[in-house]
Amino acid sequence: MFSSKTTEQVKLETRPSISGSTKFYNNPIYRGWIYQSLLMVFLIGFFYTIISNTLDNMSAQGIKSGFSFLGTSAGFDVLMSLLPFETTDSYLKIFTIGILNTVLVSIVGIILATILGFIFGIAYFSHNYLIRKISIIYVEVFRNIPVILQVIFWYTVFNLLPIARESINIGDAIYLNVTGLYIPKLVDESGSGFVYSALIVAIIGVYLLKRWAKKRQEQTGEQFPILRTSVALLIGIPLLALLFSGVPFHFDYPSLDRFNFKGGTTIIPEFIALAFALSIYTGAFIAEAVRAGIQSVPKGQTEAARSVGLKESKIMSLIIVPQSMRVITPMLNSEYQSLVKNTTIATAIGYPELFTVFAGSALNQVGQAVEIMFMTLVIYFAINMVISFVMNRFNKRAEITSR
Amino acid sequence: MQAREFKALPDQPAPLSTTGPIAWVKDNLFSSVFNIAVTVIITSALISILPGVLDWLIFSANWSGTSQADCVKDGACWVFIQAWSQQIFYGSYPDGEIWRVNLSLMLLAGVIALSFTLPARLRNKIAVPAYLLLPFVCLLFLDGSNIGLTPVSTDLWGGFSLNVLIAAASIIIAFPFGFLWALGRQSDMPFARSVSVTCIEFFRGTPILALFFMGSVMLPLFFPSDVTVDKLLRVWIILVLFMSSYMAEVFRSGFQAIPQGQYEAANSIGLGYWQKTLLIIFPQVIKIAMPNILATFVMVFKNTVFLLVIAVPEMLQVIMSALSNSNWLGGHAVEGYLFVGFIFWICCFSMSLLATSIEKKLDTSHQN
Repeated sequence: MFSSKTTEQVKLETRPSISGSTKFYNNPIYRGWIYQSLLMVFLIGFFYTIISNTLDNMSAQGIKSGFSFLGTSAGFDVLMSLLPFETTDSYLKIFTIGILNTVLVSIVGIILATILGFIFGIAYFSHNYLIRKISIIYVEVFRNIPVILQVIFWYTVFNLLPIARESINIGDAIYLNVTGLYIPKLVDESGSGFVYSALIVAIIGVYLLKRWAKKRQEQTGEQFPILRTSVALLIGIPLLALLFSGVPFHFDYPSLDRFNFKGGTTIIPEFIALAFALSIYTGAFIAEAVRAGIQSVPKGQTEAARSVGLKESKIMSLIIVPQSMRVITPMLNSEYQSLVKNTTIATAIGYPELFTVFAGSALNQVGQAVEIMFMTLVIYFAINMVISFVMNRFNKRAEITSR
Repeated sequence: MQAREFKALPDQPAPLSTTGPIAWVKDNLFSSVFNIAVTVIITSALISILPGVLDWLIFSANWSGTSQADCVKDGACWVFIQAWSQQIFYGSYPDGEIWRVNLSLMLLAGVIALSFTLPARLRNKIAVPAYLLLPFVCLLFLDGSNIGLTPVSTDLWGGFSLNVLIAAASIIIAFPFGFLWALGRQSDMPFARSVSVTCIEFFRGTPILALFFMGSVMLPLFFPSDVTVDKLLRVWIILVLFMSSYMAEVFRSGFQAIPQGQYEAANSIGLGYWQKTLLIIFPQVIKIAMPNILATFVMVFKNTVFLLVIAVPEMLQVIMSALSNSNWLGGHAVEGYLFVGFIFWICCFSMSLLATSIEKKLDTSHQN
């Protein structure tokens, strides 16, 4: 007799994997757990070795641990500080000053880089051949040279400026020499609060006006000359308040002393070189992002805008740029973050930002590498998280909203 | 009735006002009042600046000589670069041993050429091991103590060759790490995934300079007290970890571009996880990610200059110490920095051109 096996039975015999005899290590779920526990064991061993070695080394070298050093006096001076500072102040104060200087140069850098980036990114599409070429040359030159070299280069160029007595004089108010840029300082007198509150009122007024005008345009289609009115409001209201309260301000002009300038506001060359180099370098990347963003908008959008009779200048600002923002914004986010990270190169020229004064000078004196690096890195992560949060909020608005 | 045969008139040439150089100039330089003004301003600025710059750079520059005294003309003193050229390219590597640096550079070039010329059948089998072995072979030659050559301490390595070699060595070793992290990031295992994400985000979020600092002040604490780890080796470890995080993101975007059908097809013919990943997915990811890999390499190459902050004698550091040499105190900083910038610009620009051309070749979409 022929054996009477069904095909199902044959399958079961020749393919053991279908039957219940699977080895447990061939089950992906168990396998995953095995891999992960191996990884866990490895990591625990790794960190145990590192931590025990670190503790051994620190006790052998006589390095203390803990954050008590923050209260002790630092004993060194910083070049530039937004807060009043004396050499007897604590390391915590140094830390704060470092953070403020980092934030200052980051904000200035981000603003300038964005302006440069958008100008050169849009210039790529200019009708003028020379402007197009200048935009390409700017992008290709500055993004392909290491940023630290650019900082050192601009700092060196700054050092070629004349000495204080032969300063470059701009209208007897602004002076530029090898020790820095001197600009007049606005000094408040009593009653200045009135002008400031007028300015705030003007800003709120412009915001409300903008909302109202947008709503009206959506409902009735009528446009409102928003730009002209806003400028008039922003200048007019504070100006009226200024005249009404009898100009409660005066300028403190820098004036040449025996060796250098006194009075006014001094911007140190380190800051100028750093902000300049960072904004030019990041600006090149942003210009590239803007170019890519604009190219991502289909050509039909421009043609449609022309066919409804929009002016060329309006097409860019009303049709193309708003649509390209959803490509540009994520790239802006990462460029801003890398700008903040790149502020650390200040240590090559001595601008006193967080990394230079805290991870550099303070670490040299205290020696508690682990604590100091931890505090420093936390700040950079925090700043970048803030940027990321803001840009993601902004991106939400730029994304395609389907109705 | 017979229809008259249709005869087309001969083509008329396009009107002069729309073609030819005159129309181009009119369109691109003088199309409106604003454009005319811009053209005039830019041209006059160029005319006033360019001759002076060119004169300083080339015509009144000092090209030949051996010492600072030879720089008599007003222009740039390129003698400075000439006199220091060996240090700029090789650091303080001993004179008689420089062939070892050259050999390493040639090996690098050779392996790159090999990976592009080999037939596809052999490429993965030969080029991948060759790449992975390359850093260690170069290390053996450059150090020399293990293969019977005169040992050369890593303090003496330097110059532009160091920038190139350490960037290449870092990205090669970062390749497998980055790939593993990218796999971990998209795996189903929650613990492995969170470890990968932590690694990637930590090394991406930390400024590279802070990482170098940690490498020089914190890494020694991590090792047992009787082990001293060479400074350059620590820099290499840091660069590899830094690069791995960036490569992981490059690979991740590559993974996302692979159609789901590829995974399903691999599953349906019964391939295991590693077979599927290495034979089906990896080759496609490499192809898609190539422009981004090049961009990442450009980034790490530029970042090697940051090493000057922890006093590793890379190219810019050599220039800076040459500037403070007592025989060359004539202020040649601008020449030195321009030269470094020029060299880096040539390298990075050609690599970004290569990346763009690969990108164009790979772009099979019909959008444009």
